[in-house]
Amino acid sequence: MSKILKFASLVSLMMLSPALLATASGADLNVVASFSIIADLAKNVGGDRVEITTIVGPDGDAHVYEPKPADAVAMSKADVVLVNGLDFEGFLSRLVETSATAAPVVELTRGVTPMKLADEPAGHAHPEDEAAKQAGHHHGEYDPHAWQSIANAEIYVKNIADAFCGADKAGCATYTANATTYLDKLATLETAVKTSIAGIPKEKRVIITSHDAFGYFEHAYGLEFLAPEGISTESEASAADVAKLVDQVRHDKASAIFLENVTNASLIRQIANETGLKVGGTLYSDALSQETGPASTYIDMVHHNIETIKAAILGS
Amino acid sequence: MPSPTCLTFDDLTLGYGGHAAVHHLSGTVARGSMTAVIGANGSGKSTLMKGIAGILKPTGGHCLRASNLSVAYLPQRSELDCSFPAQVIDLVSLGLWPRRGLFGRYRPEDKAALAAALDAVGLHGFEKRPLDSLSGGQMQRALFARTLLQDADLILLDEPFNAVDSRTLTHLLALIKQWSREGRTILAVLHDHDLVHAHFPQSMLMARKVIAWGATTDVLTTKNLQHAQQFQEAWDEDAPWCGSDAAAEPADVTAALFAGPSAKKVGTHV
Amino acid sequence: MYDILVAPFAHYAFMQRALLGSLVLALSCGPVGVFLMLRRMSLTGDAMSHAILPGAAIGFLFYGLDIVPMTIGGIVVGLLVALGAGAVSRFTIQKEDASMAAFYLISLAFGVLLVSWHGSSVDLMHVLFGTVLALDNAALTLIAAICLTTLIGLGLVWRALVAECLDPLFLRSVSRMGAVVHLLFLTLVVLNLVGGFQALGTLLSVGLMMLPAAAARFWTNRVAPMCGMAIGIGMVSCLAGLLISFHASLPSGPAIILSAGCFYVVSILVGPRGALRSLAAPRRHRSA
Repeated sequence: MSKILKFASLVSLMMLSPALLATASGADLNVVASFSIIADLAKNVGGDRVEITTIVGPDGDAHVYEPKPADAVAMSKADVVLVNGLDFEGFLSRLVETSATAAPVVELTRGVTPMKLADEPAGHAHPEDEAAKQAGHHHGEYDPHAWQSIANAEIYVKNIADAFCGADKAGCATYTANATTYLDKLATLETAVKTSIAGIPKEKRVIITSHDAFGYFEHAYGLEFLAPEGISTESEASAADVAKLVDQVRHDKASAIFLENVTNASLIRQIANETGLKVGGTLYSDALSQETGPASTYIDMVHHNIETIKAAILGS
Repeated sequence: MPSPTCLTFDDLTLGYGGHAAVHHLSGTVARGSMTAVIGANGSGKSTLMKGIAGILKPTGGHCLRASNLSVAYLPQRSELDCSFPAQVIDLVSLGLWPRRGLFGRYRPEDKAALAAALDAVGLHGFEKRPLDSLSGGQMQRALFARTLLQDADLILLDEPFNAVDSRTLTHLLALIKQWSREGRTILAVLHDHDLVHAHFPQSMLMARKVIAWGATTDVLTTKNLQHAQQFQEAWDEDAPWCGSDAAAEPADVTAALFAGPSAKKVGTHV
Repeated sequence: MYDILVAPFAHYAFMQRALLGSLVLALSCGPVGVFLMLRRMSLTGDAMSHAILPGAAIGFLFYGLDIVPMTIGGIVVGLLVALGAGAVSRFTIQKEDASMAAFYLISLAFGVLLVSWHGSSVDLMHVLFGTVLALDNAALTLIAAICLTTLIGLGLVWRALVAECLDPLFLRSVSRMGAVVHLLFLTLVVLNLVGGFQALGTLLSVGLMMLPAAAARFWTNRVAPMCGMAIGIGMVSCLAGLLISFHASLPSGPAIILSAGCFYVVSILVGPRGALRSLAAPRRHRSA
């Protein structure tokens, strides 16, 4: 990430020349993305025409991130700022104010139907779980992890294309073309995911992760995710939450348990130990992996998640 | 056969931050003697006590103690934490440290000794009293009990009669005399000259250096007392360093101490 | 009654471990907290939770997000800060609160520098600080070892520690142990805190150390019973807190600390050395 920062700073310095020069010569569009997942989407839409700075990089936890001065500098030099919205980035409003950026701050969840935190996917009635889930929540009334549903990711992509077009009219054609290509890939991905899940027996579609990051995935694809920590990794689990999960596994109602790349693994391991369930691997929820990891792009992330889940459930 | 000399001062200088509170002290203290250390405020008496007790390291010269000499030091009470949750018995039993140390188990005779010590100072029945409920005089008596328990050869008392009423005073003086009869050496910092005349055969008059040291009748003369009153209490930042060419002789030190840069007479100190 | 008090522990291994770990920590922290409080160093715990950042950062730099190197790093830096501050307060004119503040701030700043320089997006401390519900064997062993070390250490130097608190000048006149004992005590403080952070999180670790001690002050006027009371209050708070966390679905760390907090408030009001007793006019007095 530091390489990107250095490069971005260098490029930003070069952009001191008037905007006329920038648009006329087709120079890079400076984009700041709040975290790695939308950075990846933006890269696919923008191609070579954009220079992306990511604030919360791979394996980073945006729920508890504290911005640095370098972030404010990057913000102030940006042409477009892409954020998730729905109160995902707790640090955002302060950062926008400090940087006094002139760039438009685009919320990619515009147009997404957000899930309320009290929403339960149809077909699952767990009234006693609601209280447990409510207890851990803050950061607004909506679940921010909208990108977990591929249909929503497609909305993100469209919003990105619109934002880029707005900031750089000359490149609009390129952006639209890139977006269309990528949307096709996403559609293929969605089909693959649905096929994968169809291969999992219905009664085994309950799994346990660290925090409530997969609500949209649940809603879209019919897997059920349970977690001891609430929506944000900042919250702390209660004994009742953990007990419920242990019960869930014991009564054979949960088939697999997973770590996440952004949280402390010990609580999950504790539940695994108590129930005898082996940890099925690591899921990527709020951030991509490093480039050498298995989930370095959005598409890889979804693939990795679904394959890991399937392997753990069917293998158990 | 223990040596007749308890303490030997060899050109002893004690001080703080480049200035001396006690300049070039030499002499011996005989075993079994009772010496009062007198002088105005700031004349170096407490510093000397701390030096003998080993708490302050000399900046020059030596303070030599006879071998196997046990020392008990009763300070001016400044560092005692009265709000600490302890009872009289906890404070007094600190006196058992020289005998029992960190790990030694207290024996039955220790309990008897504790009771006897409290009796001796008139604090019978005070064992379980919290420290913060004691009056000034009672606290002083408790500290005396601790000193008693230490069973030391040399006893250093720094202003032991502060805030003590006359009845207590008589009591404690009797205790000190008892110690002296037992062959212990006593050095006590005192302000009351009448008391010194009445009870202490030896005296040391200080004014940042020794003015006179010997039998009380010889030391506490009007001439000596006047001489002592004129010393300079404040430190002089521009005074030449002791031992450098500018002030080679101790006599010059005396001159420096007594003249001062402003050459003003220091007034009456109590 | 059984359902409320015993069943949660009987049915869930994680509850048993949580109880065991927190009880052992209460046993260890109680006396340490009492002495900290008596020496007016009650805010040391908070300071220490910030001070260990560079240690965790260095552990992270070399070994990644591995708990063990980060904890060891935290202990080493914690010791440097505590012993440094302790030495300064002993041998110079500065008092303990100021020297501790200075050292921990320097350490914290250094830690932030290290973390920013490396460019990590993960909140290291968030990863390092554990939760009482997730005590694995390694964490339990760590807590037990620290408890044993603390009890043995305190037992060995008890007399000197009390003397050092009560009349340090006297101790200096009869022994050279004063400085050693003080530094040994600070070492125990760091071990308890850092081990506690790693196993149980900052709130629980510092809270279990200071709140029971602060409450115990209102009940007795001697050090040994005060330590006993602090341990007792700590243990009951752990039990109560875990049960509340279980039945009322509240986060476990805060639940335990708030239970201790209730004890504290009650102690202020009705303890033998508490507020109400001193406000209420005594009705009668003895004739002698």
